[in-house]
Amino acid sequence: MAAPPPARSRRRRRLSPGLRAAAPVLALLAFGFAAPLATVAAMSVSPPGSFAPAPGPDLQAWARLVDPAGGLPGSFAVTLGLAAATVAALLAICLPLAHALVHLFGRWSGLVSTLFVFPLFVSENVRLYGWALVLLKNGLLDGTMKALGLGPGPDWLFTPAITLAGMIYVHLPFMLFPVVLGLSLVPRETVEAARDLGASRARIWAEIVLPLASPGILIGMLLTFTLAAGALAEARILGGQSVIPVAQEIETAFSYAQDWPGGAAMALALVLITGALALALLAAIDLDRLLGRRR
Amino acid sequence: MTEGGPAAPAPVLELRGLVKGFDGIPVIRGIDLAIREGEFLSVVGPSGSGKSTLLRLLAGLERPDAGEILLRERVMTCLTPQERPTCLVFQSLALFPHKSVGGNIEFPLKVRGVPGRARRDRARALMALVQLDPAYYRRNIRALSGGERQRVALARALAYDPEVLFFDEPLSALDQRLRRSLGAELAALQRATGKTFVYITHALDEAMGMSHRIAVLNAGRIAQIGTPDELYAQPVDRFVAETFGALNVIALTRDAGGWHEDGWRPVLPPDAQIAGEAAVAMIRPEALRLLGPGETAANRLEAEVMSDRGLGAHHRLELRARGRVWLLDLPRGVPRPAPGATVALGWDPADTILRAR
Amino acid sequence: MRGLLRGWTLAVLALVYLPILAGALAGLSRSRYFLFPPRDWARDWSLDWWAKVAGALEIRALVANSLLIAAVVTVLAVGFGLCGALAFARHGWRGRRWFQRLVLLPLCFPQPVLGLAALMWFDTLGIGTGWRTAAVAHLVWIVPVVTLVIAIRVYGFDPALEEAAADLGASRLAIWREVTLPMLWPGIWSGALFAFLLSWGNFPLSLYTAGADGTVPKWLYAKMVAGYSPMVPALGTMSTIAAALVLGAGAAVARLARGRG
Repeated sequence: MAAPPPARSRRRRRLSPGLRAAAPVLALLAFGFAAPLATVAAMSVSPPGSFAPAPGPDLQAWARLVDPAGGLPGSFAVTLGLAAATVAALLAICLPLAHALVHLFGRWSGLVSTLFVFPLFVSENVRLYGWALVLLKNGLLDGTMKALGLGPGPDWLFTPAITLAGMIYVHLPFMLFPVVLGLSLVPRETVEAARDLGASRARIWAEIVLPLASPGILIGMLLTFTLAAGALAEARILGGQSVIPVAQEIETAFSYAQDWPGGAAMALALVLITGALALALLAAIDLDRLLGRRR
Repeated sequence: MTEGGPAAPAPVLELRGLVKGFDGIPVIRGIDLAIREGEFLSVVGPSGSGKSTLLRLLAGLERPDAGEILLRERVMTCLTPQERPTCLVFQSLALFPHKSVGGNIEFPLKVRGVPGRARRDRARALMALVQLDPAYYRRNIRALSGGERQRVALARALAYDPEVLFFDEPLSALDQRLRRSLGAELAALQRATGKTFVYITHALDEAMGMSHRIAVLNAGRIAQIGTPDELYAQPVDRFVAETFGALNVIALTRDAGGWHEDGWRPVLPPDAQIAGEAAVAMIRPEALRLLGPGETAANRLEAEVMSDRGLGAHHRLELRARGRVWLLDLPRGVPRPAPGATVALGWDPADTILRAR
Repeated sequence: MRGLLRGWTLAVLALVYLPILAGALAGLSRSRYFLFPPRDWARDWSLDWWAKVAGALEIRALVANSLLIAAVVTVLAVGFGLCGALAFARHGWRGRRWFQRLVLLPLCFPQPVLGLAALMWFDTLGIGTGWRTAAVAHLVWIVPVVTLVIAIRVYGFDPALEEAAADLGASRLAIWREVTLPMLWPGIWSGALFAFLLSWGNFPLSLYTAGADGTVPKWLYAKMVAGYSPMVPALGTMSTIAAALVLGAGAAVARLARGRG
């Protein structure tokens, strides 16, 4: 007397079409993203001198990480400070830029956007190296100023400031495009209505545009902060070791220092900081609205 | 146009006890409906009454929670949209923007494996039928006007050669003039092809001109079905009556002496049999008339003229009597009292629609 | 105000392209060391370094590796991204919000860290690093980008079109071939372009995961850190021009397809 199973439970056993479509990406991220990070976590609690995750747990690497005498907390502070400064500078640069892209270029906006996207496809090393060629003694800037009789050019190369400039330069598209997406969420009529009701330009930005565009702006800030926190090439190519970011400490730990647990602990600390920030911010943003332009 | 339509008693499509809800909220609450072969049936209802859900159930885009759909006495409740010999014209029209006019119309033939030559011939014939310029065959859908898109959508649905065509307010995005002329064309096309059309709309004026019968949908149930004349003259309740235009409503209660409103006892139609203690008497604005000196009527009220608005074919007067507003329609050209004047208004008991409350 | 904003945009654009211009000049100068301005504007230019780059067997192998990785990544990323985009934007399913955030997460992580983590993981599994492992590492970062690019297109796609096709008798396969794919085609095409170009230019992931297989960005970085050679800006400029050509050709194809459809 086997009763037929109720339709409900039969449906539950079948995967939903959404989960089926998500499965390949989930598998890829499990293999190429989650498992590697788990390996890093295991490595960070392995005894010093091991080159593969070893049974532990051994917290020596973490102890060195938080020891002020080791200089690592300072390195973290400098890195996160540079990342924060990068975000602030990019906001100032990209808000007017994004406004111009959305509203001012009309049929040229596609071309101008493409011109801003294109550098993403050129290896960042090549672009940073180009800056070195601009700022070198007898480089593009120095040479031009000398030729014009303006004296030698400024000696900016190999300073912390130029490291920051390089980070701002490299990460510009990552701020610009989310902000453009965010600004195009703002219905034109709301701005017109605010103007009609007597709001000044600054008021309109503060009360209408920025709140409505905030999903895009927040994503841009998040992306640039986390990417800048892991930046390596700027300090190496432009900064000439005047600043040593965490990413470089990590690389050193894995290459010259042969301290894999130490490197893994630093890497995991960086991942935890940026990951927590990312999850907190992403939880607050409605991605359907931002990407689907659903108002 | 409103004469009952084809008299064939066998329904082409029959709905029995159809029920559908979303997330536990009932939308369709039990619909029984027999759609006759070759008729033009409109389903009219306010937004939220379940019109679109009903159509999606009929097209097979949703499964009912309970009940059956029969096509010529064959159950088709569980058939997919592909398997059903019916076709839906979407509210958005759902024309394929990446295909030309011809590509859209030929789509159902193409997926059925009809060879290219025969497809083209059929598409051209259908374009002629819906009065589309043959030069449009290669045009991009985006280059078409709203009215032309309607014709393409109609031709595409006809190319499927369905037994029943469903329409989900496809005219609602058009301006009034275009809507009226396309509606008339649609009705003519239905008469010419003899196909069964089921047309869903919130615009009653649209349905009145096109349909053999109209079903009024209220909160997931069919309140009444009948010819436009029947619904107008004998609505089953206040909802249906109000769907068909403005009303003067008198809320009545019963006591030992009969029906009254706060002691006032209007003369009611003699055959009215209402169970219960509460009823409404409804009188259409064109059934009220102004009484000249010496003229009498079974029902008579002294009233003051408040306003007078021209509505094209007639004028609508707002009068104040018994502490509220009464609407009275006068044909154009008839002399009208000025606002502020005191008049007598009257009506016949036969023009009163009495229904339970 | 408008003029000011336009001027600002153009100024930023000029700064964006200034270093690329400097690299191009450096690769074309005759001397071993970069001097600007050249002493003799007419004679101090040459294509010697370009010829040297083009002739070096070592560099040919690098380009072949980079192309191979980019091609494999493009094909796989489009497949993964298409499925991912449908799960991201189309289907209403219970884990969707959670999935959307998970997909974005790799983009928020420093690439050198992702590369290192992948290296350690492959090491633990006993997989030797090479172009295959580099492709996997690239995919982790590029599939989310492609998913987003295609998802934007999926959002604009009216599900009624698929319903109409089903109602008109089209089978599941016919709907996919006749309606869904053609409608998503522009998104798929831009996704493929992004995948190819991002893989072609990627350095931090390749650094750790490509092992003995060199790629163009890896080689450039090694030479930059080691000391100056005009071959570096020459190869950098050639790589940039190649990317621009791919982008231009891609845009032309998209335009052509749109004109026809």
